[in-house]
Amino acid sequence: MAKSINAPRRYSVKSPLIGYLLRRFVTSILLLIGVTIVTFTLTNLVPGNPVAAALGEGAASNPDTVAAYVEKYGLDKPLPMQYLTYVGNLLQGDMGTSLHTRQPVADDLVKAVPATVEVALASIVVSLAVGTALGAVAAYRRGRLSDQLVRVLSLIGLSIPTFWMALTAFNIFFLQLGIAPGSGRLSPIYAPPPSVTGLYTVDTLLAGQWESFVDVMAHLMLPVFVLSLFTIGLLTRFVRTSVLEVLDADYVRAGRAKGLGGSRMLFGYVLRGASLPILTIVGIAFGSLLSGTVLVEAVFAWPGLGTYAYLSATSLDLPGIMGVGLVVGVIYLGINFIVDMLYGVLDPRARLA
Amino acid sequence: MRTTTRVTALAFGLAATAMLAGCSGGSDSSAKAPSSLVIDTAFTLETGDPGRNYVPTGYMVSKAVYETLLDFEGADESTPIPGLATFEQNEDATVFTFTLEEGRVFSDGSPITADDVVFSLNRVKGMVDSKANFLMNGVEVAKIDDRTVKLTTATPSLKLPALMTNPSLAILNSKLVLANGGTTDNTDAAEEFLNAGSAGSGPYIIDSIDFATQVVLAENEKYNGDEKLDFSRVVIRSVSESATQKLNLEGGDSHVAVDLSGDQVADLADGVSVTSGPSAQTIFLLLNQNPEISKITSNPDFVDAVRYALDYEGLLELAGAGSEQATGVIPPAFLGALDSGVERDLGKSAKSLTASGYNDETITLEYPNDYPVGGVSFTPLAERIQAQLDEAGIKLKLAPAPFTTQIDEYVNGREAFSIWFWAPDYADSANFLPFAAGDKVGLRAGWNDGMSPESVKLASAAANATTVDEREIAFRKFTEEMQKSGPFVPLIVPGSNIATAESITGVAYNSTWTMDIAELHSK
Repeated sequence: MAKSINAPRRYSVKSPLIGYLLRRFVTSILLLIGVTIVTFTLTNLVPGNPVAAALGEGAASNPDTVAAYVEKYGLDKPLPMQYLTYVGNLLQGDMGTSLHTRQPVADDLVKAVPATVEVALASIVVSLAVGTALGAVAAYRRGRLSDQLVRVLSLIGLSIPTFWMALTAFNIFFLQLGIAPGSGRLSPIYAPPPSVTGLYTVDTLLAGQWESFVDVMAHLMLPVFVLSLFTIGLLTRFVRTSVLEVLDADYVRAGRAKGLGGSRMLFGYVLRGASLPILTIVGIAFGSLLSGTVLVEAVFAWPGLGTYAYLSATSLDLPGIMGVGLVVGVIYLGINFIVDMLYGVLDPRARLA
Repeated sequence: MRTTTRVTALAFGLAATAMLAGCSGGSDSSAKAPSSLVIDTAFTLETGDPGRNYVPTGYMVSKAVYETLLDFEGADESTPIPGLATFEQNEDATVFTFTLEEGRVFSDGSPITADDVVFSLNRVKGMVDSKANFLMNGVEVAKIDDRTVKLTTATPSLKLPALMTNPSLAILNSKLVLANGGTTDNTDAAEEFLNAGSAGSGPYIIDSIDFATQVVLAENEKYNGDEKLDFSRVVIRSVSESATQKLNLEGGDSHVAVDLSGDQVADLADGVSVTSGPSAQTIFLLLNQNPEISKITSNPDFVDAVRYALDYEGLLELAGAGSEQATGVIPPAFLGALDSGVERDLGKSAKSLTASGYNDETITLEYPNDYPVGGVSFTPLAERIQAQLDEAGIKLKLAPAPFTTQIDEYVNGREAFSIWFWAPDYADSANFLPFAAGDKVGLRAGWNDGMSPESVKLASAAANATTVDEREIAFRKFTEEMQKSGPFVPLIVPGSNIATAESITGVAYNSTWTMDIAELHSK
């Protein structure tokens, strides 16, 4: 007997979507354990002596200081023991103490990650809006001047070295034109807002600090502009290719033949059909924005994950490096999980794969 | 469809209007500060606890918040002057008696007493895990009365007054620190308290510290010392990229840029001034004297061949403003520095090279390639050394590596031929005695005391001198001996360049705390 099409839909463990999501979740947990092993092993394979690097020449020559330091940070224990201690502490939220800031790594990361998330989120939103629009326009106007122009512009966006672009943009918009503020997240005349989310845009609004909010938005402008250039170039090319494929699909041609057009055709059929590959590339782009902003953060003195990673690496701060590795791993796993979930929602075939 | 679009547009319009209205004033609670002095520097900041600090930004902050028994006047690091105390010493420089200035108070208004001095110095001595712990090695502290403290050393120690200027040995409010976990042994737990607050008597107090972004200092309203402050608030920002520091300064976003290279200060915009001078660091070549590490570099004739093959003026071109040729292991700011350095003499070099038995072997030159010192990058320096030695018939292969990888090899004496640098821990020539045979840096070059009894004798004489005149002669002799027979070839004393807005005056470079913020004034 056929079920009524109006009957409420019940998700059980047997539901393909729930089963699919559970499988993805378990895989993510296993990958996370793998990430801790890989980051710990690789970090400890780096040549060099973290004690000498952390203490500096003068103190590293004092045997008492070296002994106290080694004991304090457990550097005298065998590596497997250090790993087990690390994982045990990790489960309690303790990521160790940074050798270069002397602060708990978790505390450092709680400050650094929101700074990067703020700039990366803004960049991905801008990139998604501009990249999708440009890519769709280029596809719709395939072969025409506007298509050629968009393709050249996207290639330029992909090719410009980010570090150079950051310095050039800072020089032009801050120093020469005076329309952008200096480096950092907030002008020195303002005190940082009380930390709730760590995102200054949100925290200033929550605190009712309107002037600070405007200042934060102004400080976001240039880093977002520079970071978006590459992602816009990338998305434009992907959206153009995906849309071109969909435009040739039978259902789109049928729709057009029946008189469908304009925004309904674009948003309801074309972009929806092209969304899966775009979703993949947005996930990858967002992940690399979160983990690969070292140079832009350096130029704009942005105290984010990239800056923290750089300082940890150059000071052989093993707990700091492991913390960053773990966070980046979690970010990628999280994004992949979300993308997989959306795949499952958007494309029923994926649930059964 | 059209209705939906209109409603959406209206909603966005209302939201934007609300936001603009909010921005235009009303109940804005933005925490806006009065005029501030803004300093940009590449942060080296680990703690707000002066007794645990051992890094430049930390010293700059400690210097503003805390005071020491003795001080230096401006950029003159040759003679300590009274700080919180005056001092007298006995004839053999083993007993130093400090008398506290009367009426001085901490930031909570409580008086500074001898108990605070004894506690503060013994605290550093007791914290063996502190990087600054070695500063108190061999020093005994005793209270004489409420205003008098006696410091005793087993052997003559004319360096002790200079040590007492180091901000790590700042005087802390003992009652406050004790109440917040402070002790004089390795169980001290006052760091957390000192990371958030102040227990000093300096012209500023800590308003806030974020080790990754900025330190904000506020005026200490109870301060009753000599400094007259022009800035009631100071923001020290972490800006790791020197190009960004330069742009911030030129664009008016900051007042001081601390880490500009010689090339960058040569290209500054109008409205910016620079205080340049030689720093206290020495960049040198190390040639290992241990034959097991290298049979070639351990030959003294080969060391001479390298010493006279180099064109020091040519190397200096890479260093920029403020830099000077290193005339010896002791840089020019310190007692015992030589007036002139080695000059290139290819004839002398060739003679020494022949005597060394060198037979066209390629020697590896190691150096850290990610750690510029005073704006001098080691990669171009190594390339120029390679070219210059090639002209003298010595073949080099360059082996760069990250600092963190290289330093372990260097401190354990495993590098045959390398470029390194030495920065003083405190402002005194005694800092450079570890270059002697058998001492810390000497051993890094495989140079044990049996290889140069003369350098050991001269270093000992310099360390144990009891008068300034005797000391100056001893240090000069030591430096000359090092230039003659040491396994080190001093190359460059890089410049220190502090760039400021033209409206800022009073900048004076110090090798330990970089500059005294309280001495910066507005025109």
